[in-house]
Amino acid sequence: MSPAARKVTIRMYNVGFGDAFVIRIPGKTSDRKILMDCGSIKEGDGGSIDDVVDSIIEDVKDKDGTPRIDVVVATHRHRDHVSGFASSAWGDVEVKEVWMPWTENPADPEAGRIRDLQSRLALTLHAELTRLGADENLIDLAANALSNEAAMQTLHSGFAGNATRKFLPPRDRQKSTFAVDCLPGVTVHAMGPSFDEDVIANMEPPKGKSYLQLVESAAAEREDPRPPFPGDWTVDPPSGLQLTAEESQIVEGVGDEDESVVAAALDGAVNGTSLVLMFQVGKVSLLFPGDAQWGTWNMILEDSEWPTLLAKTTFLKVGHHGSHNATPKQFVEDILPKPPADLWAMVSTIKRGTWPIPKKELMAALSKRTKKLVRSDEIPQAQQGVFASKAKLYVETEIPF
Amino acid sequence: MKRIESRYVQAQPARRPLKIFASDPMQGRAVGNLTTIEVGNEKLMPGPFGSRIEVVDYDGSVSGGRYYQPVNLDDPAILMMAGLDPTESDPRFHQQMVYAVAMKVIENFERALGRSIYFRGGRRLRLLPHAFRGANAFYDRRLLGVLFGYFRADKKNPGRNLPGQNVFTCLSHDIIAHEVTHALVDRLRRHFLEFSNRDVAAFHEGFADIVAIFQHFTFPDILHEYIRATRTDLRSPTPLVQLAQQFGYATGKGRALRSAVDLNVGGALRARARGEEDAPPSRLYETVFEPHERGSILVAAVFDGFFAVYQRRISDLLRIATGGTGMLPQGDPHPDLVSRVAGEASRTAQSILTMCIRAFEYLPPVDVTYGDYLRALVTADYELNPSDDVGQRGSMIEAFRSRGIYPDGVWSLAEESLLWENAPSGIPRFPVALLGDLSSLAPGAFSRASPAQEESPTWKQYRETSGELSEVVESVLRPYAEDNAAALGLEPGRPIDVQGFHSVFRIGQDGQLVIEIVTQLAQQDDSQTKSLGGLPIRGGSTVIAGADGTIRYVIAKPLSAARLEKQREWVELCDATDPALTYLPESKRGQRMQALNFETIHQGIVR
Repeated sequence: MSPAARKVTIRMYNVGFGDAFVIRIPGKTSDRKILMDCGSIKEGDGGSIDDVVDSIIEDVKDKDGTPRIDVVVATHRHRDHVSGFASSAWGDVEVKEVWMPWTENPADPEAGRIRDLQSRLALTLHAELTRLGADENLIDLAANALSNEAAMQTLHSGFAGNATRKFLPPRDRQKSTFAVDCLPGVTVHAMGPSFDEDVIANMEPPKGKSYLQLVESAAAEREDPRPPFPGDWTVDPPSGLQLTAEESQIVEGVGDEDESVVAAALDGAVNGTSLVLMFQVGKVSLLFPGDAQWGTWNMILEDSEWPTLLAKTTFLKVGHHGSHNATPKQFVEDILPKPPADLWAMVSTIKRGTWPIPKKELMAALSKRTKKLVRSDEIPQAQQGVFASKAKLYVETEIPF
Repeated sequence: MKRIESRYVQAQPARRPLKIFASDPMQGRAVGNLTTIEVGNEKLMPGPFGSRIEVVDYDGSVSGGRYYQPVNLDDPAILMMAGLDPTESDPRFHQQMVYAVAMKVIENFERALGRSIYFRGGRRLRLLPHAFRGANAFYDRRLLGVLFGYFRADKKNPGRNLPGQNVFTCLSHDIIAHEVTHALVDRLRRHFLEFSNRDVAAFHEGFADIVAIFQHFTFPDILHEYIRATRTDLRSPTPLVQLAQQFGYATGKGRALRSAVDLNVGGALRARARGEEDAPPSRLYETVFEPHERGSILVAAVFDGFFAVYQRRISDLLRIATGGTGMLPQGDPHPDLVSRVAGEASRTAQSILTMCIRAFEYLPPVDVTYGDYLRALVTADYELNPSDDVGQRGSMIEAFRSRGIYPDGVWSLAEESLLWENAPSGIPRFPVALLGDLSSLAPGAFSRASPAQEESPTWKQYRETSGELSEVVESVLRPYAEDNAAALGLEPGRPIDVQGFHSVFRIGQDGQLVIEIVTQLAQQDDSQTKSLGGLPIRGGSTVIAGADGTIRYVIAKPLSAARLEKQREWVELCDATDPALTYLPESKRGQRMQALNFETIHQGIVR
């Protein structure tokens, strides 16, 4: 292999609000390919997710015309990370391994319990928000957590080529760093999701459990409405005890915020199951933290080895579309390598409603750290010579290893 | 004067008996659950509507809302029966119960503080026993009210409730006591609703649980029953030391909501389920942040202190009863022993509760921490009882120490270093002479001497008094504080808010009446408010002066760069762990810390 060919390529597809990345590592005969997520809940100007899927499959074709991917990674089950896998086109793609977080392991009872609560909560929440005619973005947020059966089926049993399924990290911390045959020369570090009890407790938000009860109780009430006491005890407003209109509004408004709070808690819970992977190829370290949240990050930052590795990051996929709590301040300020070290970063994002995503402060902090930062919604602004793009479909960069 | 006009003949009864559920309806007719408590007698309008409490039975769960028939506790038919009989199906009993338990809590505070407590501006605390549908209850400052929810019990796992039956949070003694305590804490320290460090919300929750649990010890039947059943070991998990049983079961938890002994903190229950040891308690203070769980650490520490004192107090009784061995024989203990032990338990509980509440006199006005509270506890008890014969303070210090709770800036956990430092000499005397008659400054301080006047709107007198107070504040206190700002731990030149001002009376060691004046002074720095999520940095001092004007204590939280830094770190931690912030519009971000309240905290949102 010529030195010029010793470059790892990372391509970010413009899926709108979602993630789809292809990592390409040159090999002896053909390139090794890793697909990190493929999903969207709001299309951007790169076209629909099905169009993106078609281009990905076209792009991963080897010289013999067969599409091949060595490792498909689904960081977590949110639609914006997996919806693309619902396409039937994947049946033709030869895949060697599929990696998912341990929470997807069908043989793990704890994982089953977590998935069960999360999907029941998503269903209930989505139905309630729809019934209440809530804000469209809020409904989408709940819909994002709905199980995507077709996509999950592809991941668990689809693809051509009898792919091996792996659920990461292994429970044994010692086995979290490993190599696989299909990715020669690559060391993989699976840093999350954590098995820590407090982190797991947040995957099953207590708030969600009490919300399920509340909805059940309200449904029972609608089915069989009855006053809290037998008989009619209502009276006209008693003199001296009336509330003002403003005060009674406060009382009537109790619980109005429940859905949005629970939706955010559920979103955080599912993000909390995100795989956090680092790939080391030669001197290059690629960090894909999925949408990991504070709990998992905190465990990683408190680990005895991971921070040393994080300090070697060459490429960062910015977590959760650049939101505020998927990239800890401590990581950016104290751990991420500082200039003159070379650092590339990609953010797959698009502005939605009033959501503060991507977070301005985070974007500012990162661009202070590196000029090699690109956003999927600002592909034309990508630095020439560092990033190459194909119209608005994708943007890619090459990192010598 | 004719004899029939004399006070002796005209006097109204001092106490009013009222029936309640000692715990909640789920306990049914278990021993002592249907009980009668006594509260101070006052003239009541339908509601009940008294001098400090008004029960407003407004149900906001239907659109437009609805009111339920208010109870008239002064109706002779009801008076004759010592109140309505406990039942779930009559809203008037619910109103009676929230009134009775709330008054009991207020009385406990008044007894401990030695003065009457009225709400600001002559308002009353509102209790809304059926405010909304939901398994929640909370104090709302805007309404100066406690809103109780009601809900249908879990269908699959309702405990001893009927599946799907209505469960009323307003019929749980513990929930009422807990929520009313929140209101009283807000009355005593208005800035404690700003969660400016990781202890503030937890302090609110823990303290409210402490009041609720120690109130259990005032119900004699239950106390006897469980002392007999546990053979005097009060640490056994019985309803005596557990909180909100029905609520816990009805929401499918399969246990009481919280407990003073069987802690579910830091994953302890999960660990125990796997047969593992709990995390060492000394680590909990460092690692547990959810306000209720963190509050439980405070409860456990105080309860440990209680248990140690209680054991010391009954050890002689046990020896007498057992021929000197102290080992009880098999079977039920002797009823006489049970009743003597119950007496000690109840006295100890009252004395610990008094200590816990009195500590408020020695708390800084802002940004409280567990360490501050420990120092306030120790100081309050020292002032009241310097010799500590039964080791009450020592036990409490040990219980806090074993949980890793240390105050900042204290060199050792010896009693003398935990006491707040005496104010340095040389601070100009407090202008006592300008205040006039000190006894008039404690509104209602002596009101118990004249119970239940015919017309009892004592709040009216209070309002008049508070009018005088504001003059006193403007003409005497503020100038004094401004002139001596630095010595009082305040920042000279910055505006000073005089927040509270009252006199305290107690009997000193020598049997003489000791009068002290307690003033709360606060300052705020708004320069960082926006970046701190809507909370200013607050500084302030609680200043305690003797009757001669000597400054005895200056309990200060000065404005400082170090405190700013701590608060910033706390806000950052809240931000990092709050999933809702991801989607919070930029426009609301500036108020995010302000928006924390009991409604959201009580729903179990982990922050």
